[in-house]
Amino acid sequence: MSKTFTVEGDIATVDTRTLLTTQGSVSAPSSVIPSGVTKIDKIIVAASTEGLVAGAQSYFLRIGGNAVRNGEQVIAISACGFIAPQAGSDSSPQLMMANIYNDIDIAVAASDTLTIAVEGAGTDTGTGHAVVTLVFA
Amino acid sequence: MPKLYRTREGTVSSVDVKTQLSTLGSETAPGPLLVPQGVKTLVSIIAAQCFNMGAATGYSALVRLEGPGLPQGPEVIGLGVGGVPVATGGNGVNRAIEIPLNIPVTSGNEILVFGEMVGTDVGSSEFVVTLVFA
Repeated sequence: MSKTFTVEGDIATVDTRTLLTTQGSVSAPSSVIPSGVTKIDKIIVAASTEGLVAGAQSYFLRIGGNAVRNGEQVIAISACGFIAPQAGSDSSPQLMMANIYNDIDIAVAASDTLTIAVEGAGTDTGTGHAVVTLVFA
Repeated sequence: MPKLYRTREGTVSSVDVKTQLSTLGSETAPGPLLVPQGVKTLVSIIAAQCFNMGAATGYSALVRLEGPGLPQGPEVIGLGVGGVPVATGGNGVNRAIEIPLNIPVTSGNEILVFGEMVGTDVGSSEFVVTLVFA
């Protein structure tokens, strides 16, 4: 039986560990691991930038907190690049469909709390947005 | 044994030069990437890269793994290709891909992770690479 947990947030700048603590209309979703859960089985994640500043950068996910039995786990999400268009031209949108990582098998402890953070690295290409869903089993 | 995830990222700014990925965003000196205790295999990598569209040309991207943590010796993996027709107005997003592997590793020893741009110099490319151990 699966149980999901989703958080999202803006990633304002590179090289800053940004905690994701909101879920749209739910401003403070509980990050307590449900009882009976022993692992994170899947991760569904996307992160990209508005592309308002020329450069190239990457995004990665940090899964930490007391609930993670083997310490913080850090996983690549995406990379993006942008250079300003010629005057009078439009730039195409920066779109990323979510990645689905199956059989992720990260051991967690029920009733303890998780922290979910997304971080950018490289040359800042503008404000990013990230959404992360964990599927517990 | 649950899986363990270790990540490094970095900027590759020259063609045909292997560049060690040695940082992790806000962690500017995370130290050597050591094979965790209790694991025997590198079961996959999860990696993404994208370039800054700074030159009107094309390139390929490689990930190189080296070091004493790999008893079979170095490994080289193709990660992707890219290009842009003009250097004014390119943009793109590459989501990370998971590449299944089955490479023996030696616990407590270092694996060095490199990114490399090959082909023509496109400006710079940002790499992020996760090693998945079990």
